[in-house]
Amino acid sequence: MENKVYITIENKLIEANEGENLLQVARKNGFDIPGLCYHPRLSITGACRLCVIKIEGQAGLVMACTVQVKNGMKVIAFDDELENNRRNTLAYLLSEHNESYDNTYIDELRPLVKRYKLENVNERPISSIWQNIPQKVDDTSPVLTYDSSKCIKCFRCIKACEEIQGKGVLSFADRGIQKYIVAGFGKWGESECDGCGECIQLCPTGAIVEKPNRNKINVNDIDKKVNTTCPYCGVGCQIEVWVKDNEILRVNGVENVSPNYGRLCVKGRFGYQYANHKKRLTQPLVRKNGKLEPVSWDEAIQYTANQFLKIKEKYGSASLAGYSSAKCSNEENYLFQKFIRIAFGNNNVDYCTRLCHASTVAAMIRSLGDGAGSNSIEDFETTDCLIVIGNNIIETHPVTATFVKRGKQRGQQIIVIDPKWTPLVKYADIFLQPRLATDVALLNGMVNVIIKNNLIDKKFIEERIEGGFESFNYLKEVVSKYTEELVEEITGVPRDLFTKAAIMYAKAPTAMIATGMGMSQQTVGTNNVFALLNMCLITGKIGREKCGINPPRGQNNVQGATDVGASPIMYPGYIPLTNEKNRYEVSKVWGVPFETLDPNPGLTTLEIMDAAYDGKIKALYIMGENPVVTDPDQLHTINALQKLEFLVVQDIFETETSAYAHVVLPASSLFEKDGTVVNSDRRVLRLRKTIEPIGESKPDWLIIINIANKMGVNIGNYHNVEEIWEEIRKVAPIFKGISYNRIENQGIQWPCYDENHEGTSTLYKEKFNTLSGKAKIYPVEYQSQSEQPNEEYPLVMNTGRNLYQYHSSTMTRKSDVLNSYLNESYVLVNPVDAKKYNIQDRSKVKVISPRGNLVTTAIVSDEVLSGEVFMPWHFHESPVNALTRNEKDPISKIAPFKYSIVRIEHL
Amino acid sequence: MNSKYPKVVLKNFGIIDPFSIDSYIQNGGFEAFKKALKLNRIDVIDEIKKSGLRGRGGAGFFTGLKQNYTISSCEECTERFVICNADEGEPGTFKDKLIMENDPFVIIEGILISAYAIDATKGFIYIRGEYDKSIQVIQNAIDQAYEKGFLGKKILNTNFSFDIELFLGAGSYLCGEELTLIESLEGKRGYPRIKPPFPAEKGLWNKPTLINNVETFSNIPYIIQNGSEWFSSIGTSESKGTKLFCLSGNIKNTGVYELPFGISLREIVYDIGGGMLPGYEFKGAILGGAAGTFVNDNFIDVPMAFETLKSIGATLGSGAIIVIDQKTNLLKLLINIIEFFKHESCGKCVPCRIGTTLIYNKLKYNKLTENEFNWILEQSEYMARTSLCPLGQSPILPVKSAIKYFKKKLLAYGK
Amino acid sequence: MILKKLINMKDIMNVEEIKNILKKFKTERSYILNALHAIQNANPYKYLSEEALIEVAKHFNLTKAQVFGVVTYYSMFSYKPRAKYIIRVCKSPVCYMKNSMNLINYLQELVSKDNSNTFIVENSECLGLCNKAPAMMINEEIYTDLTVEKVNQIIEFYKSKSL
Repeated sequence: MENKVYITIENKLIEANEGENLLQVARKNGFDIPGLCYHPRLSITGACRLCVIKIEGQAGLVMACTVQVKNGMKVIAFDDELENNRRNTLAYLLSEHNESYDNTYIDELRPLVKRYKLENVNERPISSIWQNIPQKVDDTSPVLTYDSSKCIKCFRCIKACEEIQGKGVLSFADRGIQKYIVAGFGKWGESECDGCGECIQLCPTGAIVEKPNRNKINVNDIDKKVNTTCPYCGVGCQIEVWVKDNEILRVNGVENVSPNYGRLCVKGRFGYQYANHKKRLTQPLVRKNGKLEPVSWDEAIQYTANQFLKIKEKYGSASLAGYSSAKCSNEENYLFQKFIRIAFGNNNVDYCTRLCHASTVAAMIRSLGDGAGSNSIEDFETTDCLIVIGNNIIETHPVTATFVKRGKQRGQQIIVIDPKWTPLVKYADIFLQPRLATDVALLNGMVNVIIKNNLIDKKFIEERIEGGFESFNYLKEVVSKYTEELVEEITGVPRDLFTKAAIMYAKAPTAMIATGMGMSQQTVGTNNVFALLNMCLITGKIGREKCGINPPRGQNNVQGATDVGASPIMYPGYIPLTNEKNRYEVSKVWGVPFETLDPNPGLTTLEIMDAAYDGKIKALYIMGENPVVTDPDQLHTINALQKLEFLVVQDIFETETSAYAHVVLPASSLFEKDGTVVNSDRRVLRLRKTIEPIGESKPDWLIIINIANKMGVNIGNYHNVEEIWEEIRKVAPIFKGISYNRIENQGIQWPCYDENHEGTSTLYKEKFNTLSGKAKIYPVEYQSQSEQPNEEYPLVMNTGRNLYQYHSSTMTRKSDVLNSYLNESYVLVNPVDAKKYNIQDRSKVKVISPRGNLVTTAIVSDEVLSGEVFMPWHFHESPVNALTRNEKDPISKIAPFKYSIVRIEHL
Repeated sequence: MNSKYPKVVLKNFGIIDPFSIDSYIQNGGFEAFKKALKLNRIDVIDEIKKSGLRGRGGAGFFTGLKQNYTISSCEECTERFVICNADEGEPGTFKDKLIMENDPFVIIEGILISAYAIDATKGFIYIRGEYDKSIQVIQNAIDQAYEKGFLGKKILNTNFSFDIELFLGAGSYLCGEELTLIESLEGKRGYPRIKPPFPAEKGLWNKPTLINNVETFSNIPYIIQNGSEWFSSIGTSESKGTKLFCLSGNIKNTGVYELPFGISLREIVYDIGGGMLPGYEFKGAILGGAAGTFVNDNFIDVPMAFETLKSIGATLGSGAIIVIDQKTNLLKLLINIIEFFKHESCGKCVPCRIGTTLIYNKLKYNKLTENEFNWILEQSEYMARTSLCPLGQSPILPVKSAIKYFKKKLLAYGK
Repeated sequence: MILKKLINMKDIMNVEEIKNILKKFKTERSYILNALHAIQNANPYKYLSEEALIEVAKHFNLTKAQVFGVVTYYSMFSYKPRAKYIIRVCKSPVCYMKNSMNLINYLQELVSKDNSNTFIVENSECLGLCNKAPAMMINEEIYTDLTVEKVNQIIEFYKSKSL
């Protein structure tokens, strides 16, 4: 509760919070005190000197931005002396400033020049000197241009990079009037800049200007600016999209709203080019005589509907399946699963989550009762200790990482656990680098350390864990075998290091875990997360503020898709479909006979592909997925698809998968439709249409309804997507209190049970979502991989991501900006291994596994341990999944993308 | 050196070996420190307060008050720092150099006593990067102090532990300013911080920090040893003790002189300075350095002290006295001073970054009539009122005083 | 540990040498100026090479721009090769009054006739030698009460030293 204080500005009584910034208070109350270097998101600079004011009792002029309000303060903001002083300051700035303006950026200086009547060059008290100051122009960055003649040296860009994004890539060079901004040693393109554009967004003049579309854009002539959610990862950044002539010309971060508060990453800011790309699918295609030919919508839909009906009749309803999409909205995913369950008559609906956080969700649901992150993005900054395990957060969730870096600036302790070095290690207090797939041993060892050091939370164990101390003692017994010696032997992590990490985590007043693909994408993925949860539970680091476990989600709507029921075992809202009562309720809402709803769990994603391979699935409806690139064992996947009698692919571009389709339906991208998505911290966020559907593409929800109608199946009559959302609210209690209206400006986190509820920022504060209301401990044992390196395949391959490309890169490789940062595949090889196998740095190599082979470029790097290699999986010409295997985690059914035996041969 | 005036700071000058801590100890060195260790901290601060010692770097803030402020600004803080500002950069000033090269130990002792008084844990000496000899002497003195147990853990078997490290500047006048020095000491570019908060509250790494000039620290052991009464008996009503004046120009005896506050400029120039060199007439002086004020020969009898100079609109500053004579081209000198500020401006705030260039350009490239000088005065006033730090607030001092006392000459040179 | 003990004139600076110098400094950012002095003084051409800056950035866990920003702020550092002997002539008010600008011009001319990288002339601000103005420094050595004759002698001395 903040204290209220009362001050006067220009003799007007103003209420404010004690310690609030005076400049902000003044502006909030209508006193438009000018200023250029101040920005509410940055620390105070006091460089421009425009916000001069007078305070009664204080001699001289004071800068409003440097003052914190105190009760009784009397402020004069506008008298002759102050206004003249400001005019002089502006005149000074103008003399140093290159005023040429080309409408490609928003200039905050120009309105002030107008306001203080300095527009007429002849009426200025100071003449121009900028032509005599050495001009530094840096054009080497793919995303921006820096021009020192326009720079007013306000420090905003430096602070934006340092304080908001935690990168610190910029600095001034030189001193005095000729100083200028540099990145690196003066070449932006050769610096650590990763193109996030925070500096562009905050620059008040044309010193830093965005490059893309600079030849087209006129900031004073934009058709519309629409707020929507970023189409890439699961952070769910709110973006403001600028459109002209149905083309997206610019994207900015939306200030002052969660979850990103104005921040973006290079993909979110510059990766929009795909929407207007010339290769967009604009017409439906049907395969005729072996070739895909453009047809009308009517023909395509009719043909599709007929085929589905035919196959259903011939082979039974169990012979059809569908892949829903983490890239489609909640409304579309909801309709898709409704379609599968009603039109196909089975529960064979699943999607890429099965390739991703399946293990995390499987373990969390059993242990805690919910399959979503327990905290909010802001907690990443305020928690005392953060473990980031198997998650390259800076590259995969850059904006979440900005919270982490800011937390570090405040003294947060960071522990990174990863077999490969990641950029977060630079900020980490402890870095544990275990061998691939040894996580259970490491975590059990850490639990053992915690127990031996008596750092458990007894009260928590008694009150909030099922079975209390009995369960705990069983865990204690299991982990007692994981002595420091054994763990060090298995994992390769020095014992004092993991001991230190365990104690650091256990002792922290609050602690959070971010767990990623490194943990989930293994044959022991579920066990990995169980082991992690055990550590979390016995130390009581969950069920209260700033404590918990969070899987940063990879796709903008991978969370939402399961939330709204794109699952073979759950209805919308995580209601098990095997439960009769649930099926009854749902059938009522959907207006279908109870008997038509299949009571048996359906097949998961990889099981569907296996079933296609075995000839059991004959028809597959794929919406927004690219299994040829994303599924393990590529050869197996291709064979499976080729065996299908009917394959429909609904997407925005032709993909490696659509090449095998019988029908290709052009869908509208996320920029072309309304709807909602759910991000990693359970926030329901608005999607808004920014441009009209390209060509003849249609929003996915319309396509699904059209197919259903042509099949004679009623899956609902909706005039717009909001009506679909209203139905979702009825079916899934977690969304009950969330309406489009309520999330007009900012998202609300589920569960939200009624319209007055503000949403839930931290889960499990009262109870866990299990039947008993308590969490469950699942002790697990370390198991080594069934596939072990041998003489023929002596190395183990790890796979993962890079900041600049995204997943199967269907979207990102259409972006010139992103391609200029990274557009080719590579494999990281440890120097010892490089020497052993005679691999030269930057040479072409062949990587071979028992499943297949590929060609790529080798980079010698000590980011990976000896015996292990790493490849990003974004590049279809070097398809990483040609090498991976299809063995599955018994519970989550995920494949071990993170562990395949390989050998490398130089070409 | 005139021996009729009491010596405080330069007591050991020429007597001890600056490379031998033993010679310092033999001459009574570190006795004051030992005495201080036996007193309560608050009593040490009191003694300094009573002595009336004021900062000798230029600002003249009361040292005892500063110490008190530093120790009481944050009761829960466990870390406090002491910084010795040895970044002597004011043109015309060379006194700290003299102390450092001839008696580095008194500086260390002064730092130690202050550190004890404010319960500090670490000390830093920030020294001109160009002062090679001083660096060597000071570093050697620090090493020897460690050897003798005057630095390190549990000094002289008390609970007081203290370390001192030497840090080099690298060519920036502005880093001699308190808040900028702290930025530089943190390893960054020399930008001044906004005040408040002051270093006593939030200084190095945001911890309470006591920062004083070399000469200030050098006074402290003598105050503790001989008593505040003795010290305050020297000088004037508001400026106690002695001051090291730096005399330069076309004068017979240029150099550093330790003299009591209140001595007249006449006495300094003619008695101690020996008067002008043949062919040169005294026309005035710049008092305080580049960030100082011009006075003409009318002020030859002004007593040199903080309050007396302030009352005539002049500055004591660092104690620099740059004598000007009839051959001095005042306009060129003024341009040189402004060029100095332009070169040393960090560039952070608009008035100073651009103002120093504007004034320089006007002076250098224009015919100068009364109008131009008025304009320059206006800009200097604007800068003085609006700049972020003392550097931007400085040009007004030489500009205003030069115009006030030497307008005719300036106009003559300006044609 | 005296900073100057680290200064050994070497003909070639390579990354190993730079790393060895850096080893003697803790990794806290405060030590960056001391480290930059040590590395620069150890370089025969008295400058900080790009390799040196990269190593400094790694050592102190800073970005390249942060190191470059520090180097370019402080007058004593140079990221471009200079010469074996840096002649810093003071041009602050007192030395200026004693005609140091003439000496600077004189030295510039003198040095420009000499093709090798033996000398470079730089302006300096007040060196604290005002009582013996005009003054200059050549590397660490001080020279005061300068006249043209004296300057000639000094330059000759250095020329013979560098042969």
